[in-house]
Amino acid sequence: MGERKNHFWIHLGLISFTLISLYPVLWVLALAFSGQQSVGIIDLPKDPTFLERLRGVLPWPAHFSVKNFVDVMTEQPFGRWLLNSVLVSVMTTVLGVFLACTAAYAFSRFRFPGRDGGMLAFLVSQMFPGTLMLIPLFIIIVKWLGLGNTFWGLVIVYATTAIPFCVWMLKGYFDTIPIDIEESARIDGASPQTIFFRIILPLAKPAIAITALFSFMTAWNEFILASVFLESEAKYTAPVGLRFFVGGFSSQWGFFAAGSVIVSLPVVILFLYLQKYLVSGLTAGSVK
Amino acid sequence: MSSSVTWLKRRALWGLGVSMAVVLALTGWLYGSVSGDLALQQKQREAVLVANAIGASLAGANEEVAAERIKRWKAELPSLESALVVSGRQLVASTRTEDAAPRGLKREEKPLFDLATALRSAGETNVSEGAVRKKTVQVDETEVGIVGVTVPYVVDGKFEGIVQARIRDAGTVAVAPGGAWGLALGALAAALVIGFVLLVQSQRGFDIARGVAVVVLLVLAVGFQQQRLGEMSRATTAADLAISKVQANAAAAYRRTGAPTHVAAAGQASTWDTDAYGRPLKLISADGSVLPRSDAAQKDLHTRFLDRSFWGINLVGLVLLLFFVQGFAERTANALRDHADAYAYVMPAMIGMLVLVFFPFFYGIGLAFTDTTLFNESTPFRERWIGLDNFIAILGDFNIVTKSAEGTVFDYQNFYWTLMMTVIWTVTNVVVGVTVGFILAMALNTEGLRGKWLYRILLILPWAIPNYITALVWRGMFHPQFGVINQFLQMFGMQPVAWFDGVVSSFMTGLVTNGWLSFPFMMVVILGALQSIPKDMYEAAEVEGANRWQQLKSITLPLLRPTLIPSIILSVVWTFNMFNIIFLVSGGEPGGANEILITKAYKIAFENYQYAYAAAYSTVIFIILLVYGYFQTRMTRATESY
Repeated sequence: MGERKNHFWIHLGLISFTLISLYPVLWVLALAFSGQQSVGIIDLPKDPTFLERLRGVLPWPAHFSVKNFVDVMTEQPFGRWLLNSVLVSVMTTVLGVFLACTAAYAFSRFRFPGRDGGMLAFLVSQMFPGTLMLIPLFIIIVKWLGLGNTFWGLVIVYATTAIPFCVWMLKGYFDTIPIDIEESARIDGASPQTIFFRIILPLAKPAIAITALFSFMTAWNEFILASVFLESEAKYTAPVGLRFFVGGFSSQWGFFAAGSVIVSLPVVILFLYLQKYLVSGLTAGSVK
Repeated sequence: MSSSVTWLKRRALWGLGVSMAVVLALTGWLYGSVSGDLALQQKQREAVLVANAIGASLAGANEEVAAERIKRWKAELPSLESALVVSGRQLVASTRTEDAAPRGLKREEKPLFDLATALRSAGETNVSEGAVRKKTVQVDETEVGIVGVTVPYVVDGKFEGIVQARIRDAGTVAVAPGGAWGLALGALAAALVIGFVLLVQSQRGFDIARGVAVVVLLVLAVGFQQQRLGEMSRATTAADLAISKVQANAAAAYRRTGAPTHVAAAGQASTWDTDAYGRPLKLISADGSVLPRSDAAQKDLHTRFLDRSFWGINLVGLVLLLFFVQGFAERTANALRDHADAYAYVMPAMIGMLVLVFFPFFYGIGLAFTDTTLFNESTPFRERWIGLDNFIAILGDFNIVTKSAEGTVFDYQNFYWTLMMTVIWTVTNVVVGVTVGFILAMALNTEGLRGKWLYRILLILPWAIPNYITALVWRGMFHPQFGVINQFLQMFGMQPVAWFDGVVSSFMTGLVTNGWLSFPFMMVVILGALQSIPKDMYEAAEVEGANRWQQLKSITLPLLRPTLIPSIILSVVWTFNMFNIIFLVSGGEPGGANEILITKAYKIAFENYQYAYAAAYSTVIFIILLVYGYFQTRMTRATESY
């Protein structure tokens, strides 16, 4: 009996905390489905009573409508921004995975002068702070290469900054593939290229999938570089565009909320699906 | 023995041959490209000068007079292919009769109107900022044999319109190509290389030859370069002389157009010979003579650039020579041949990393020692070098607090204030994250609790949402007027809070947002660790009569330690670098008081355009992180081995 009572209090605590922690999510959903642009969920009358205020805080729209979703995709350039984000993320993924796979394969299978140095350099580069890189990258990409306001500028930066993490992860996976498979293929007369593309890559599919997802999410969620590199509204990616709705002097909270839901949904689903893997990956190296 | 001498000979031959060839070729190429620049610049200066002169002659002229003067210009200056004047939407005058000026601009002439607007706003920007940032002269080189320039014409300090002049290329100062010199030197170099190789008959001969090679390389290179520099200097003077003739011609033509003449004192600098920002170059006088190059910064940029670059080239040559002679080249070539496959696989990623990660990193650190801003960015790197000044300005300013009659005022722009805020920000956030995460993990770890997975999924959501969206959502909820948080406060009769106006309340917005964002990570990590603690330890403790607090203190916490410490280390770095929350929620308000180091560095770079200062700031941040990393690894080692 005492056991059950104990659980009641735990449930009560957990439920209240969960409600509080879910509130921002519900708030965005309420705004997204409210069909209006203001930052308040409902319009409050002058001198509202306690109950009216309570109504204003409850995350439920006054009128349920999908107008914000329709408008943000049709009237606003958000559809375009979303497409830009997809383009940038897909190009980043393709380029990043290609670069990471080849390098990881070499690090895993070949012994050559500079191998250890190269791997160490990749690791050390993870310590370089973002802002210290931001200014030189801005000068190199925008001023020297003239790639400001283009997707290529973003893609090559995203892809290269993701390389070290991807290489280390893929190398770990390549290491687990028995070398016997390759040796027997070599005896059968397969060239190194054939071995890499026909044997190793298909075997490493799970790891490549994770690497691809990681590259995709990096590009999909990146905000600072995109806002520095992209100038014209037509080139914005979704993060820069969402900020555009509510940053500065504009306050189109309805569009922002609807756009946020659209942008977050795939990421959240993926995240919940992969969360176990992510946590073990993050702490695996450090926990003994 | 003989084979090793062959190798030594080969090294010597390649070393001196390659380094010599590279140094001579680079010197010749650089000289050629710089003298090309000089010729180009001369053409442009002449064109700009004429266009400015035409503009000056239009002062106080109505349309008819302007048309008359333009025609006069055409007649007086044979090199003037055509000229036209645009003011507002009006084509005021043109030398081409088919233009039928004056008339309104046609639709297809909109680029002209746009150009006029752009030059006008560029000029106004420069005036209002008190700096020269935007070019007010446009040069068009697309036509062969003709330089087109567009300059604003200003009457009594007021922008009136633009003059577009197309000047025929009148043949520029010939810069001696120096081919003969190059050939002679090449032959000399070849002879020296052969002699040098003959010198290598033994290991000892090789050792002597090494020293000789360095001297030979440098003497040859410097000799050739000094000769080139002299040539360049002469060419520059000749260019100035040629331009001064153009000035004299233009001045004569100007007088004959009947424009009101300004009496210029002899030796006064020409106001027509300007740079791309409309500033007089002060290299020639108004009456068409060459002025002595006075101030150092102006002193023959081309020659100075060549001089500096030549030393760089010599350094490259020296490195190349040693690379071969010391046998590195041999080893590299062998490695490349033996591991060709491996290098082919690594190369794409390596090049990407070198260009976009390692180079920017070192360039950023180099930038920190300059005074680069948006405005002087295109000047040579060495002219911007200021040594440690940025670091002294950042770290040496201790005036955080000013006490005055009105009270104590903090300088929120001070580095140490921002550092303090960053430390407070990091510590409070990590404490909040760990505490909340720990309590939730303990609750979720209760045995036999129903719906555990549902809580877990729901509580992990804040981590899953992209953090820039989280930040903007909380910014909306903290809205001082319509935000739900103030609604909630008012529900209970409290006053609404102007969240972003106070230092503490603004800090709270960031803390709450980041707390919301970061507790799931801690929760998940701690939960995982809790689940791995064997149950029988608690059972044994209960048998021993330990109460729950004692169990927590002597079983749970010590066993959590190996998990908790790395997670805390990780989250300290994350929080320290949490750009998005500060930048998007409070934006560092009020008055930059809540800025953390990295948002501050960003604002210095992209709102004040002080690139170098921001780079120095970032370097300091990097050093802080390095020091933290060092102590953290030492600490972890210590805890591991206790």
